[in-house]
Amino acid sequence: MVRFKKRYNLAPYLFILPALLMLAVFIYYPIIQNFIYSFFRFSAFSPTKTFVGLDNFKNLLEDSVVRTGLVNNVRYAVISVIFQVFGGLVVAAILEDKLLRRVAPLLRVIYFMPVVISISVICFLFTFVYHPTVGLLNKFLELIGLKSLAKPWLGLPNTAPFAVIAVSQWQSIGYIMLLFVVAIQKIPQELMEAAEIDGAGRFRRFFSVTLPQVKETLFVTTLITVTGAFLVFNEPYILTRGGGPGTSSITLAVHMYLSGFFRDNMGYASTIAIVIFLITGVLGVLQATLFRTGKDE
Amino acid sequence: MLRKHLGVGLLIVLLFTAVAPAFAQEEVVIRFFHRWPQEPRNSYFAALVKEFQELYPHVRFEVDYVLNDPYKEKIRVLVSTDELPHIFTSWSYSFAQNLVSSGRVKELSEFYAENADWAKDIMPAQIDGFRVGDGVYGVPMTIDGKAFFYNKAIFEKHGLQPPNTTDEFIALLDQLKALGYDMPIMEGLMDAWAVSHYLGTIFQRILDPAVMAKDYNPATGEFTDPGYIKGLEFFRTLTEYMGPIATAIDHETARNMFAAGEVPIVYMQFAEIKMLQRTGFNDFAFFNFPAFPDGKGNPNGLTGAPEGLMLAHNAPKEAEEFLKFIISYDNMLRFVEADGQFVAIWNCLPEDLDEVSLAAYNLVLESDEVVPWLDNAVNITIADIFMRGGQNLAIGVTTPEEVMAQVQKAAAELRKATNN
Repeated sequence: MVRFKKRYNLAPYLFILPALLMLAVFIYYPIIQNFIYSFFRFSAFSPTKTFVGLDNFKNLLEDSVVRTGLVNNVRYAVISVIFQVFGGLVVAAILEDKLLRRVAPLLRVIYFMPVVISISVICFLFTFVYHPTVGLLNKFLELIGLKSLAKPWLGLPNTAPFAVIAVSQWQSIGYIMLLFVVAIQKIPQELMEAAEIDGAGRFRRFFSVTLPQVKETLFVTTLITVTGAFLVFNEPYILTRGGGPGTSSITLAVHMYLSGFFRDNMGYASTIAIVIFLITGVLGVLQATLFRTGKDE
Repeated sequence: MLRKHLGVGLLIVLLFTAVAPAFAQEEVVIRFFHRWPQEPRNSYFAALVKEFQELYPHVRFEVDYVLNDPYKEKIRVLVSTDELPHIFTSWSYSFAQNLVSSGRVKELSEFYAENADWAKDIMPAQIDGFRVGDGVYGVPMTIDGKAFFYNKAIFEKHGLQPPNTTDEFIALLDQLKALGYDMPIMEGLMDAWAVSHYLGTIFQRILDPAVMAKDYNPATGEFTDPGYIKGLEFFRTLTEYMGPIATAIDHETARNMFAAGEVPIVYMQFAEIKMLQRTGFNDFAFFNFPAFPDGKGNPNGLTGAPEGLMLAHNAPKEAEEFLKFIISYDNMLRFVEADGQFVAIWNCLPEDLDEVSLAAYNLVLESDEVVPWLDNAVNITIADIFMRGGQNLAIGVTTPEEVMAQVQKAAAELRKATNN
């Protein structure tokens, strides 16, 4: 009886069953359903669906907006890794320096504040910052004698994508910074002291002690930032009214949303969703492999 | 004695408890969804809801509202579910047709017939925008028109005249530019719908009505007429006069620039007249979209389609009463007085209507043809290509030929999907 209990102990499975069920219903089932939908053409208005085989995938390959969206997502990813991950790490390291110990708490709050503001509100505020005639940015450039650099930031195809990306950096750097602050605070003080006794300067301590010690956080934040960059929706949707002018600042998520809910082509939107799913999935696996870890060594 | 009184009292209470439910009406919930969170309309509808509840105390409302574009997206989703609000706003023509195709919108022919006395106040031509097949699926509420508004002081100062043809229009813009107005005309091209308002009118003026009728039908549309290229070229020419900021601002900013005297001409809806007047600017007049010299469309057509209200197929009787309550002469007059936009009720005008508004109202009534907004007239995929294409033309990253190639490809897919 005891042996039977040991062999067929159901308790652990029963404990994980609710979580598994939730995952199955809210994550795996929609993913499979979305995959099936991508083989159909259908409208939100109509209950019937027409099987179109691989037509949606064929259209996807020919769709220049998908390419523009992908380019913008890559721009998001690269710029976000530079500014949010590396920028956040540098800011965190500076704030944790002995010199700033007194003002660090205040600065941490200041840097973190944009994170708690709704992205809709932030985008609304930045429409005033970027406004071509009365915007703060152009007025500031005018004030410091750089009027020639003033532009309709959200109205030009070569500035709109970067103006939108800049808003994300402004908002998210504080969050990443805080993760690094926690990681830096966890570094054993003896390591820093030993490096200091050995005559290592600030830069040397940063590269030889801080950076290796926050490797795990670096992995997590890079993963969050890069996958987040391929899911960006709010900023272009609000700031440039769905990725304008034209489609210059569009992202894959915006294109997916507009295909489904504006152009009423749900099947094609599902196909774009698969692309986003695959990209983020592959990136996650790739990063986990490259960093060779998912946990502390 | 006390026991006797207590007994009578108890009897009354028991009797009342037993009989009361027979008199009390069951609570009815009306879900109302509109697209006017902005003032003064939001307060106006909130007041109507309150007044209706005073007349029908058993009715409880669930009111929801979002702005223009989110409304389009949300109602598209809702109409595909059983959560469709009982009464909701809708644009006319293709937008209404799409909603009706869900099978969840109530057909109102019988409703119109049963309430003939109420319906006689509504302009019949405006009901046409809500006809789908043999049925009527909506009640028009607001009517509108779009025209070029100009700053009278600037025109008078320089002896300028409103143009009759597009050639004269371009000459006028050149003249204004030469006079120092760097941006003689302005539009907020960040709003894609603003592009569609231009293109809808341009195509109507240029194209043969038969070509338009064929192309705007998803089952037959080809969009191969060279008039489309010509129309897009003309639109691109106009955007060249708007300067580089046009794609970075919305329509509201363009209107404010006009009100501030910064730009002499703006393409605007009559519904915006009161908004201009509220800024304190009154020195303006308007002219209809000029005719193309070799255009095949009716040059007296006026762009602007009605917006109205629809009922869900499962709407309670009280929602029908609420619809009649909204579209009644008295309540519509209050609407016009508060908001300034004209309504589809005959002679529903305030007594102190200003000269410009009266002229606009007369133009709406006298126009030979109602030209629907392009995004209401064609399939939304086609409209979207035109709208994005229009923005791309303005920023110089595409050509009219490239836009039309995309439109033709989408039209071919649409034909295939519709005819299958």
